[in-house]
Amino acid sequence: MAKTILAVDDSGSLRQMVAFSLKAAGYDVVQAVDGQDGLDKAKEKTVDLVLTDQNMPIMDGLTLIKNLRGLGSYQKVPILMLTTESSDEMKAKGKAAGANGWLVKPFDPKRLIEVVQKVIG
Amino acid sequence: MEMKTLPITELRSLLAAVSDHGKQHLVEVEADLLQTTFLLSEAIEKLGASFMAVHEAVTEQQQVINALMEQHKFDPIETKKLEDFKQKIGNEVNAAVTGLQFQDLTSQLITRTIKRVNGLKDLLHELETHGNEIDPSHEHAAIAKFLEEISHSLHAGSHALSGGLRRSVDQHDMVTGDIELF
Repeated sequence: MAKTILAVDDSGSLRQMVAFSLKAAGYDVVQAVDGQDGLDKAKEKTVDLVLTDQNMPIMDGLTLIKNLRGLGSYQKVPILMLTTESSDEMKAKGKAAGANGWLVKPFDPKRLIEVVQKVIG
Repeated sequence: MEMKTLPITELRSLLAAVSDHGKQHLVEVEADLLQTTFLLSEAIEKLGASFMAVHEAVTEQQQVINALMEQHKFDPIETKKLEDFKQKIGNEVNAAVTGLQFQDLTSQLITRTIKRVNGLKDLLHELETHGNEIDPSHEHAAIAKFLEEISHSLHAGSHALSGGLRRSVDQHDMVTGDIELF
């Protein structure tokens, strides 16, 4: 059975490219348009990995991670940030919030798949 | 020639003109940036749709080629050529996926610029408002103090504006960004 990845990004073109790359590698992809939408979808169905942007309206990525880590079912689910942010300060905040990794945009599909495979197989 | 009275009316006029002209130009800048965002968004939507359609067609074409290769014995040189084409298409698809992400990065930069433009409009408005508060009947020292207060207010406003606009896009690597697993 294919593993499911929740891709959270307010940019439609980014979500499209993330979904395209992950589906080509055999993963199922659930898309969310911001942190709140991501949180709602994460509650609706259990996913194997969350890939989230940071700067989004309504709820940003760090807040989403903190909320997810507060849910019993998401305490151990890997969460990766995929964002334009590249400062050490933001990475430290991500790590403290509970992120398992930090990917800076733009992503190369091959490298994204390598990372995802390394994290969830 | 020594000036007996301070040219307060002219000073007010100058501050109002700086504010008005500045705001007019900033309104134009904002309109252009919004139009640029709209055009970029349209472009990427069309490119994205075309990319998906081309990829779907190429995938189906590859399936037909694979079926033909199973049915007929191909010359090894021709088979190698087909494999090379497949590899090249794969590499170009990956490059296109990376390229199609740049609209997201530019859109974030434009949003930040629009926020700065609006902040600057507010500062200019403040300049005009403060200018109108200068009273010609005040003593020289009082007017100097008032001008100093305007200067401080602008400095504080400008500082607050910069503080609220953290740089979130600073990419230099156009192929792929850093990856770090914790």
